Amino acid sequence: MIRIEGISKEFKEGIGSKRVKAVEDLTLEVHKGEVFGFLGPNGAGKSTTIKILINLIYPDNGTCSINGKDVRDRETRRHVGYLPENPFFYDYLTAEELLWFGGKASGMSSAAIKERTDQLLTKVNLQAARKRHLRTYSKGMVQRAGLALALVHDPEVAIFDEPMSGLDPIGRKMVGDLIMELKGQGKTVFFSSHILSDIERFCDRVGIIVGGKLRVVDRVDSLLSGGTTLEDIFLEEVEKAGGGATV
Amino acid sequence: MTPLWPVAVITFKEGIRNRAVYGISLFALMMMAVNLLISDMIMQEVGKVSVDIALSSISFLGLLLVLFVGINLLAKDLDKRTIYMVLARPISRGEYIIGKFLGMVLLIVVTMSILCMFAVASIFLVKMRYSGYFPRFSWPMIFLSISFTTLSLILLSALSFLFASFASTSFISLILTIAAYIIGHSMTDVKALVEASQDKVSPVTLKVVQAAYYIFPNLSIFDIKTQAAHDLAIPMSYIFWAVSYGLVYTCIVITIASLIFRKREFP
Repeated sequence: MIRIEGISKEFKEGIGSKRVKAVEDLTLEVHKGEVFGFLGPNGAGKSTTIKILINLIYPDNGTCSINGKDVRDRETRRHVGYLPENPFFYDYLTAEELLWFGGKASGMSSAAIKERTDQLLTKVNLQAARKRHLRTYSKGMVQRAGLALALVHDPEVAIFDEPMSGLDPIGRKMVGDLIMELKGQGKTVFFSSHILSDIERFCDRVGIIVGGKLRVVDRVDSLLSGGTTLEDIFLEEVEKAGGGATV
Repeated sequence: MTPLWPVAVITFKEGIRNRAVYGISLFALMMMAVNLLISDMIMQEVGKVSVDIALSSISFLGLLLVLFVGINLLAKDLDKRTIYMVLARPISRGEYIIGKFLGMVLLIVVTMSILCMFAVASIFLVKMRYSGYFPRFSWPMIFLSISFTTLSLILLSALSFLFASFASTSFISLILTIAAYIIGHSMTDVKALVEASQDKVSPVTLKVVQAAYYIFPNLSIFDIKTQAAHDLAIPMSYIFWAVSYGLVYTCIVITIASLIFRKREFP
């Protein structure tokens, strides 16, 4: 499970001393086996929160833990799969080598990596391109290679930052199927998205973040029970926060 | 398995497949041809000139490798955020730097071995044609000189990692590495010059030069091309001292780089 307790993060904007609050006193829990959607307009603090979870940036205040371990402990990431927004990989590696790296760095045996690579590359439809350098891949292919890399070590927790970004409808369906498959296996999935229909379809719970503050955390079915749509709720929260929405 | 090895392997593969490495190899091939041509043109000291051309070319091409492939390998990770795919694994920032550096060391050693083959081939061909011009010649000295150049490139690469650990852009790392290279090769001469004319230079200048001499690496100790060309003996104690100096300096620099890198964030 993922536990975020009172995290805040400020960034310096430019050379001057002006500081921008990216995330403010954010507290959240994502339970084991749950699919949690993290929704917010551009610049709301979704990616910052995710990067704090992966220990790519450090919070000014607060703590985060995954499966009871502080995220600053590198061992936490042995059981976490992460897909960054618009992932970039080494130009001259092949998809096969990329997954070899992911598996080896997570402590897998060569035989297990080979088996898992075959499985995943078939699943993300990159079998035919497995020996091609990643620099020759299209944006969608890179995104799918990134998904395979995130899942190569069969993580208990998957954290995806905009996993549908840059994918065509077939790719989006594939990601949706993957998320449902992970859910079926009892894994915890935490993903950010702009696409409200994806959140409605796949998530058990949703958190809406605007201006660095978490405004709503609830079950998707209870939010939609009164006949309102997720879009209405989202726009209302953005309105309340006094910001423009970019959906 | 230690997480250093997978990082080193992908760094090496990314580096060796870079087009710049092909360019460097092509350049080495041209160097071989140039060495043969020049030997035909000058009809004195052919042996010394041939060894000097071969060793200087290797040294120059190795420098290009560190400056344009090595710095780029780390800089691209930071600029394009490919570092996310590494740090999302159970790998600390310190292990990332050390793994990356080991990959770079592997790249330098393999590329220098290829360049060494070209150099040996060119010297060998010249020696076959003009065997009379090689009265004082020893292959071990040639290999020792190339090994020293390799060690100095590893040290320079460690410095480039140190600069990249705090510099905001790859251009700054490049400039600082070039500066360190120039200072490292000229500091001994500059110090000797300043100390010899102490009455003419201010005490501040003297102190600055002396401080720089001890802070910056002394890369000139690895330059034994002249000794190799003239087959002048190098004492074992010098070899031991130079190798120890190179290795200890490299370890210190990489340790400092990984300590600085631990604080770094990747938004």
